[in-house]
Amino acid sequence: MIPEGTILTEVLTQLVVVVTIALLLSIGLFVGRERLVETTAAWRSRFRASAPAIGVLLVVLLLNRVVRWRGDQISSAVGGIHMTETFYRFEGEFILLFQSIATDELTMYFSAIYIYGYTFMLVFPVVAYFALSDSRIFRRLLTAYSLNYLLGLSLYLLVIAYGPRNVMPEVLEVTMLYDNSPQYQHLTREVNRPTNVFPSLHTSLAAIVAMFAYTTRSSYPKWFPVAVVLAISVAISTMYLGIHWAIDVVAGLALAAICVVLSDHLVGRWSLTELYESARHRLEERRRNGE
Amino acid sequence: MNRNSTNPGDGVSRRSVLATAASGLALSTSGCIDRVGSVVGQDVTDRLALSITTVPADSDREAVRIARHLEANLEAVGADVSIDMRSPSEFLQTVLIDHDFDLYVGRHPGGFDPDFLYGALHSRYADERGWQNPFGFDETQPESLSGTPSPSRDLSETAPGGPSIDELLEEQRRTNTDDDRRDVIADLLEEVVEQKPFDPICFPEEYRVARTEHFGAWDVDDDGANDGHLPTRHGFLGLEPEPGVDQLRALITDTRPTRNLNPLSATIRDRGTIVNLLYDSLLTEHQGELVPWLAESVEWEDGSLHITLREECPFHDDDDDDEADRYVTAEDVAFTYEFLADTSYGEADTPSPAPRYRSQTSMIDDPSKDIVVEDFLEDDSYELRIDVATNIESVARRALTVPILPKHRWENQVESRTESAEAPQGEWGLVTMSNIPAIGSGPFRFEDSSQRESLTLERFEDHFTQDDDDLPDIDVESIQFGIDPGSTAVERVANDGADVTASMLSTHALKGRLEGDGEWLDDDETSETRWIGPRQSRMFYHVGFNTRAAAFGDSSVRRLVSQLLDKSWIIDDVFGNRAKPIAAPLSDEWVPDTLAMDEDDEEPVTPFFGSDGELDVDAARDAFEDAGFRHDEQGWLLRNDDT
Repeated sequence: MIPEGTILTEVLTQLVVVVTIALLLSIGLFVGRERLVETTAAWRSRFRASAPAIGVLLVVLLLNRVVRWRGDQISSAVGGIHMTETFYRFEGEFILLFQSIATDELTMYFSAIYIYGYTFMLVFPVVAYFALSDSRIFRRLLTAYSLNYLLGLSLYLLVIAYGPRNVMPEVLEVTMLYDNSPQYQHLTREVNRPTNVFPSLHTSLAAIVAMFAYTTRSSYPKWFPVAVVLAISVAISTMYLGIHWAIDVVAGLALAAICVVLSDHLVGRWSLTELYESARHRLEERRRNGE
Repeated sequence: MNRNSTNPGDGVSRRSVLATAASGLALSTSGCIDRVGSVVGQDVTDRLALSITTVPADSDREAVRIARHLEANLEAVGADVSIDMRSPSEFLQTVLIDHDFDLYVGRHPGGFDPDFLYGALHSRYADERGWQNPFGFDETQPESLSGTPSPSRDLSETAPGGPSIDELLEEQRRTNTDDDRRDVIADLLEEVVEQKPFDPICFPEEYRVARTEHFGAWDVDDDGANDGHLPTRHGFLGLEPEPGVDQLRALITDTRPTRNLNPLSATIRDRGTIVNLLYDSLLTEHQGELVPWLAESVEWEDGSLHITLREECPFHDDDDDDEADRYVTAEDVAFTYEFLADTSYGEADTPSPAPRYRSQTSMIDDPSKDIVVEDFLEDDSYELRIDVATNIESVARRALTVPILPKHRWENQVESRTESAEAPQGEWGLVTMSNIPAIGSGPFRFEDSSQRESLTLERFEDHFTQDDDDLPDIDVESIQFGIDPGSTAVERVANDGADVTASMLSTHALKGRLEGDGEWLDDDETSETRWIGPRQSRMFYHVGFNTRAAAFGDSSVRRLVSQLLDKSWIIDDVFGNRAKPIAAPLSDEWVPDTLAMDEDDEEPVTPFFGSDGELDVDAARDAFEDAGFRHDEQGWLLRNDDT
């Protein structure tokens, strides 16, 4: 519908502008001119080396899109379990802790973090790690992203739960993201369903980025503290804004750790070039034997 | 159960099978701990455990708040309570079809005449699936299924010889004068309030918001001449668009119509506003009355309705070559009622009544005998007679509000899917699937939809309103229903992103925008955005009890739980006073003084234990103990097994 599109376009344009500015600034600040020059020279080979990881991520993102929309149908097909009451019983009104410190400024800060900070956090490392001469960390990052979506999605299908804003709207009225900035609902509606809460993928992706920032702190020493502050802010924002339960956030952190560790094990294990070479080798051998 | 494997609808019906399986799984992991406990043995715990089913705040913020209020107060008296949150369609599936709940908070569609209570409460529907008696209420069954005798004082006051709810429901259909009927209905309401299969909370005031810029219909000076039309068919006619405007952009908050337009689904429809645009019924509601619509005239005579249809009103599939199928005839009308009574059309071993419209058609005992098509030898007969089991005209006329379905379309559907002998009510493909072509004869026809995004209907040029000077015209070429999460709907209309909100707005959406009974948004006439309303809804918020569940087999427990609801606080705090609190689910004219809310909105029969939303915990606990419960040293509420 056109009118919804208008709101969506506005929100999206704003997001693109803000994130682009933040990217340009941080590339200048953290990556530096030298690396950029180097990258322009070497981008072809780096891209080729990373093509499988990029391909996998694109496939996962596509799958992600389909599954999130058909989620309710798939969920009932695989026997998804309703867990809202379990979460709510377990932690009760824990996240209202953040309500007690709520101020208008904090609400603004966390809303901005949730929308802009998070998007920036996802994109910046992609650029920054592509600019490193060793493409392994770049491939690991993309692999961790892919794993994160794959595992996160599977959990979304298995666990059907609504977030705090849907369960206790009255106590969250002050800080709830969509009450304060309803226009964002058009954005998040595009990418999410209200029962996609366990785990918090905002938290897990932000934590993945922070963990990678730790690994690469010798290359990007200034990015590491920034990433940590941002990641913590993103995790808190999901609870402050009433979107996630604390359980979702904890699960998000665990998921992040799993993805980072797995990415280390998986990346570099199979080299497509090697596979190709060995296959060719075998083929040639067979041909020779046949002769 | 669903043997339509050769049909494209298979996906949907298989889904419903799987959903049933999944909900079975969910049941074993949630809710109803008391039942599990009683199976395992008495040593586990006999704490009263309840699960309150409701929808998320995105769908109905008010319902969630009522559920939370009830949850807090039930916990205060020592019960083990959880909230079972389901999406709107799953909520209705759980409550109406699966009956897998202890108690729920939601909106009841209500009805045009007090006779809607017949469908809502009659014990003959206790085992059916749909809006007919979802409570499983049946006085003919012993009060408590749990084997816990009720020492309640109130219960003994219910004279065993007094007429039962079933008897009163029958009697109100057979009285001779209006005054008699009023008396019977007063008795009925008193009995309903006493038995409490459900506790009605309030009728919300319906508000919508409309932009006056493009449509003259809403740009009226004399206090809203068009107020109250919107959820009805007339609300979408005679809109008086400005030159150059050919589309009405309406917002709905519910995505279900974009996914499924099956008119018979109990879980997808609420009031059926959009279905009413696609299908015609014989009568339609206009300004609080049922007026002729597809019927040219309806004569009432000694328990029979003599109906003359408008002639040559085509169905939407009029491109078909077969001329005989083009017009809505008496045959289609007769088919509709027979089909609603048994959607397997005689093919299944047991009849499968439609899960919707059951109440509306309950006064037609046997459609195959009681509906007589006149001149049936003619190809197109436009006259028929319906014999009804009532001598009240207003009751009989309720039957004429159901959508008339094209026989040639649905008959084929039935034949193609009743290979097996079973068609479980409310669950089999025909009444759940989304790919039934939305072919009716209504003023608009289906054009296009995009799941969860929008639904577009286009004007049906051959509709009878176009030729009838007494009826308003369909003066837009199309209606586009867009989805809005609700919170931005008012803003979108104000910014010319839409013309009107077709769904009623939640109280939350009005907050800060509507002062008193202001006419304009933010009291600002230059906004060109005005309120439509308040219109007192016929839907009412209520707490429904599953009387099949051990906990609620006993009316004294249901009454006690009702006393944990502070209706006056709910009206004030949850609805911002934009709702009318009730003890009985009918409009004032039918409610006896004994059941009227007093000036402080205090409940006359089951008053709240406490005030201003604050529960008097001791009083409430004492009352539960008087009713045969006890508390252990942890303060848990236990059933008393000694008695």
